[in-house]
Amino acid sequence: MPWGNQGGGWQGGGRGPWGQGSRPDGPQPPNLEDLIKRGRERLRSVLPGGFGGSFGVTLAVLVVVAIWLASGIYRVLPDEQGVVLRFGEWIKTTQPGLNYHLPYPIETVLTPRVTRVNRMDIGFRSNVGERGGIHDVPAESLMLTGDENIVDIDFSVFWVISDAGQMLFNIKDPGPGQFDIDGPQATVQAVAESAMREVIGRNLIQRILTEGRQPVEAATQKLMQEVLDSYKAGIQITQVNLQKVDPPAQVIDAFRDVQAAKADRDRSQNEAEAYRNGIVPRARGDAEKAIQSGQAYKQQAIAEAQGEAARFLSVLGAYRQSKDVTARRMYIETMEQVMRSVNKVVIDEAPGSGNVLPYLPLPELRKKPAGSGQ
Amino acid sequence: MSRHPVLAVVLLVVAAIAFVAYHSTFVVLQSEQALVLQFGDPKRVVNTPGLKFKRPFLENVAFFDKRILALESPSEELITSDQKRLLVDAFARYRITDPLLYYQTLSNDEIARSRLGSLLNSNVRRVLGSQEMLSIVSGERGRLMQQIRDILNAEAGHFGVQIVDVRIKRTDLPEANSLAIFRRMQAERDREAKENRAQGDEIATRIRADADRQRTVILAEAQKTNEILRGEGDAERTRIFAEATSQDPEFYAYYRSLLAYQNAFSGQDTTFVLSPKSDFFRYFNNLPESVERGRAK
Repeated sequence: MPWGNQGGGWQGGGRGPWGQGSRPDGPQPPNLEDLIKRGRERLRSVLPGGFGGSFGVTLAVLVVVAIWLASGIYRVLPDEQGVVLRFGEWIKTTQPGLNYHLPYPIETVLTPRVTRVNRMDIGFRSNVGERGGIHDVPAESLMLTGDENIVDIDFSVFWVISDAGQMLFNIKDPGPGQFDIDGPQATVQAVAESAMREVIGRNLIQRILTEGRQPVEAATQKLMQEVLDSYKAGIQITQVNLQKVDPPAQVIDAFRDVQAAKADRDRSQNEAEAYRNGIVPRARGDAEKAIQSGQAYKQQAIAEAQGEAARFLSVLGAYRQSKDVTARRMYIETMEQVMRSVNKVVIDEAPGSGNVLPYLPLPELRKKPAGSGQ
Repeated sequence: MSRHPVLAVVLLVVAAIAFVAYHSTFVVLQSEQALVLQFGDPKRVVNTPGLKFKRPFLENVAFFDKRILALESPSEELITSDQKRLLVDAFARYRITDPLLYYQTLSNDEIARSRLGSLLNSNVRRVLGSQEMLSIVSGERGRLMQQIRDILNAEAGHFGVQIVDVRIKRTDLPEANSLAIFRRMQAERDREAKENRAQGDEIATRIRADADRQRTVILAEAQKTNEILRGEGDAERTRIFAEATSQDPEFYAYYRSLLAYQNAFSGQDTTFVLSPKSDFFRYFNNLPESVERGRAK
């Protein structure tokens, strides 16, 4: 069956030649219609009337031929490239827009999407339709690091078909279909997994978890590109994007505890600093207070001394005017003041009773209210 | 109506020609190569694409892919040279370089895949089994993959197949070993967490001690200044008093004593037991002597 292997993938994108040709509003090449019309007129002039009965048959044949010729019209969408095969041989690549190829079985066309950025998720699948539908695929995401630890990595690879011809004719995924019109998905995935594991295997877990994101992405992208280029796969990796870089679920608590411990450390430090900031300025304030009080004492002592000295000197000056009188006056004034406020007990010694010790209950006297002294 | 049998004959002839033409041509796709067989006997290899011809009915054609094809090997557990278990899966990419040899030795793709698959498996096992686990996972990975590819290539050459690439995909530990690693990772993290917390305490204690020291020193310094100032004040006062009192020390003693009496005996808690004969009562019973003398006249 020589033509048999032109089944399935032959007309890419599920758009058969007839489907395209029979579009009612699709533009038809004018020269074709003219040709048919002219041919029909010529036929009619050659066989005037006599062929009248089979005219319908002829018309039907011509219509079939016209449709067959028109089936070569195809459209290349803006994100596609047309790869035209003549008897299976790649003869040209056409750009977006309306194009024409000789009808099947002479020529066929494949239209892979070359500018579309394809995304491949590895380590997880996002289920479109389900709410928040991301589920992990541990078999893909758990990897050994260079220091024999295990890390849980989810990543996405973005890739485009950079060369439609290379992609179609150099590489084949396992699976049915003659051509992988959407690109060699399985190959990209296998290469991605292999490359990521190689890169992770070269690195230490601490580096991967902390600063390593960007270098890991870059190294994986480079490695993937090298491998795919060695296959001449016509695939360009535009981006490798690490979605999740975590320790495995079994030990993530321990890793989180490390983070918590670091936070605790910072908290302890902050608290201590708060303590310091709370007491040192206060101590400085207290110190200032002590200094000021010392200063105050000094100035007070000096001022008081100066005042007292001045007072004494004034009194001395007056005393020198008349020493005797002043001394006596001062004595009496002082005694007056003293006697006014203290409790007083006056005992008149009776003549001749000098040997009798008078009874004097001092504690009771003391208890009596002020001014009631005997 | 005599024209219709003619038409029928014409159609028949056209159909016959088409039938023969159909059986004498075949199409080789850009991605293919073909082997023309005469009753199963390989005649020639066609490896350019396009419309090709063959002898109708005598010859038939077998098509082989010209592209790089995939070969996946299932996950295999192997024991590395340092007696560690490792789950490895690898994949290869190969190309049919000699359709004739390929057809003769493997006859079809299914057999080819199973033969190549078992070759891949045994070589992965052999090469990786002689290595230590860490060199498989990290350092030597690239070199080992090349080594497997080269060995495989030497063997697959007999089948008209070229191995383009062999890559190790997953290198995982069996579950029991994974658990051991998880435990170790956990212990390491615990250690780190404890260290961090202890460091936190260390820093905090240090800062607090420093703060306490600062406070004590600041207060002590202030106290020192305070005492110095007080001393200065006292000294100055003493000097001022000394200067003032040195003018008449005796009067100062008298004056200061009187002030002291006033201040000392100011409260209610003092009881004086006095004799009317004391000097304070000198005039209690007596007039001044001059008046007394006047009255007596």
